[in-house]
Amino acid sequence: MITKERVEAVLNRVRPFMQADGGDIELVALNGNSADVKLTGMCAGCPSAHMTLYLGVETALREEIPEFESLRLI
Amino acid sequence: MTTAALTMDSVVVGRSARMRAVFEFLRVIGNSESTVLITGESGTGKEVTATLIHQSSRRKHHPFVAVSCALFSETLIESELFGHERGAFTGAIKDRPGRFELADGGTIFLDDIDDVPLSMQVKLLRVLQNRTVERLGGTRTVPVNVRIIAGSKRDLRQMVADGKFREDLFYRLNVLPVALPPLRERREDIPVLMEHFLERYFRRGGDDTPQVSDAVRQAFLRYSWPGNVRELENACERIAQTCNCGTVRVGCMSASIMFRAGSQPADPGVVTPLPAAPAAPVALDDRLRELESNLILWALKVSNGNKSKAAELLQIKRSTLGDRINRCGLGRETEHPSDAGVEHADAV
Repeated sequence: MITKERVEAVLNRVRPFMQADGGDIELVALNGNSADVKLTGMCAGCPSAHMTLYLGVETALREEIPEFESLRLI
Repeated sequence: MTTAALTMDSVVVGRSARMRAVFEFLRVIGNSESTVLITGESGTGKEVTATLIHQSSRRKHHPFVAVSCALFSETLIESELFGHERGAFTGAIKDRPGRFELADGGTIFLDDIDDVPLSMQVKLLRVLQNRTVERLGGTRTVPVNVRIIAGSKRDLRQMVADGKFREDLFYRLNVLPVALPPLRERREDIPVLMEHFLERYFRRGGDDTPQVSDAVRQAFLRYSWPGNVRELENACERIAQTCNCGTVRVGCMSASIMFRAGSQPADPGVVTPLPAAPAAPVALDDRLRELESNLILWALKVSNGNKSKAAELLQIKRSTLGDRINRCGLGRETEHPSDAGVEHADAV
């Protein structure tokens, strides 16, 4: 079972860059081994940013947490 | 690859002492006829360098033929390089000159020379020594007047020591050695190269280069660029294709850059190496500001963006941290998201 702390630890790797760019990534909820996150701020409405972060965050989560299943951007 | 109009002055080098040293050397050897051996990791610009050497030589009005020795199987290499006569093998329906003959009067660039099998190396050695080729299945010996530039991604000297590369061929090739440093060893060139490629790809799409956020600059500086300049170029092309909001922000970058850059916080102070040459000038203010931004980004990261905690980590007052963040241009968008991208005039 994944924990909020483990997911946050991965998100923290990109957070400084996003915050420096006036944005953030928020962990909204955990659903079993999946997570819902929300982009806020500058990149929130940008389709390219969604693709970047979706791929990047999900890959990083799977690397760090083997049982992690899927990421949902909401 | 475009080879037109590539000159010593038009090519973007960067300000690192190592690249300047390389270019000084290229100027020196421009008029030489001797064999050049360019060593550098994949993506460091071996073919660009070879083209440049050719373009600045007396042979510039003659052909420049680049051939990757990794592309062909052993028998194909021979036919490619030396050519063949009709009937030399099944499918050889007509006479065909090899790359050496096609490069006559000019320069041949033998890239990936480290991938040439040992059995083939002896044949290359003969060409280098005698400056003649024999087509496969042919009996004539054809003299060729070519300057030879070889490219290698591996250290040939080590391959010689390991018995994987002929020592005599190595000495034949290693007359004028040019070593291209990997991008991670000349990080101070990253901003210049980034500007250059962004401008190129935005202009190709008919657009002006937009502002680039400091977070993107920091990520580019911190990333290790295993694919070197080629990877940097591709990253810039990607940004030019995907960014349509007027400011290049972290979301436009490839995810791997951001993640790998973000996972290297261990020594935030050590980003730019000291110049290799003792006499090279260093812009102290730029370096200090870079160092300062790195440390601040690191502290913000470690403290999850909590500025009070970050200030504690940096042993400065919370208010001082705010000032420093603004001074480094890290805070504009954090503080005023709606103004983001408007004022970047003072970006380095």
